[in-house]
Amino acid sequence: MPNQNQIANPQSGQLPQVKGPQMNDRDYLNDCLATCKYLTDSLNIAVREASHQQLHQDFLQMLNETHQSAREAYDLMFRKGWYKLEAAQQQQLQQAHQQFSGYSTQFPYH
Amino acid sequence: MPTIMPSAPTMQVPIPEPPRVITTKDLSYLKDAMSWELIAFKKLHAFAQQATDPEVKQCLEKTGRMHQQHYQKLLTHLQNNNTAAMSAIPQVQSGQQQQQQQQMQ
Repeated sequence: MPNQNQIANPQSGQLPQVKGPQMNDRDYLNDCLATCKYLTDSLNIAVREASHQQLHQDFLQMLNETHQSAREAYDLMFRKGWYKLEAAQQQQLQQAHQQFSGYSTQFPYH
Repeated sequence: MPTIMPSAPTMQVPIPEPPRVITTKDLSYLKDAMSWELIAFKKLHAFAQQATDPEVKQCLEKTGRMHQQHYQKLLTHLQNNNTAAMSAIPQVQSGQQQQQQQQMQ
């Protein structure tokens, strides 16, 4: 029985039937995503620590573009069926909402 | 020029914002970022050549180009004229004052 909470495309990417030690298209894209994700961490620190405005702006633009790039790789992987998502149970969603709504007594702003 | 108080100490105008100088810390982050950008686009270029799916190929190629552009952008910051920028900045006078105090002692 298929999982009702799973969100995934059928695998449409061309992958070798028998997977060997060689990297395939999915591996390349996965590494592309990992590299962009790593770079956003490094760039974020550079943005935060840059001394003058122009350098700060340039790093910030690179950070933004690298995030977009990672997103594009992720979107493509999803389209190719290489990325599976899982929806949370409705009940758990409701429970969390109830729990965090209860904290409104702690809100300082009304 | 005010002539009323000729002996008054020269008022130092505050530096309005951090000047366009590459600091030692900036340099460390620039070198770090550029090292990672370089390896990223070299790798992505190699991957793009190996990939079979045209969409995957295009994504890898596009990302590789972006990282090379980032590298080139950062490279321009290494051409910053720190000497000129620093010469325009009023130097903190505490060094001179310390010297004077030492001479007095």
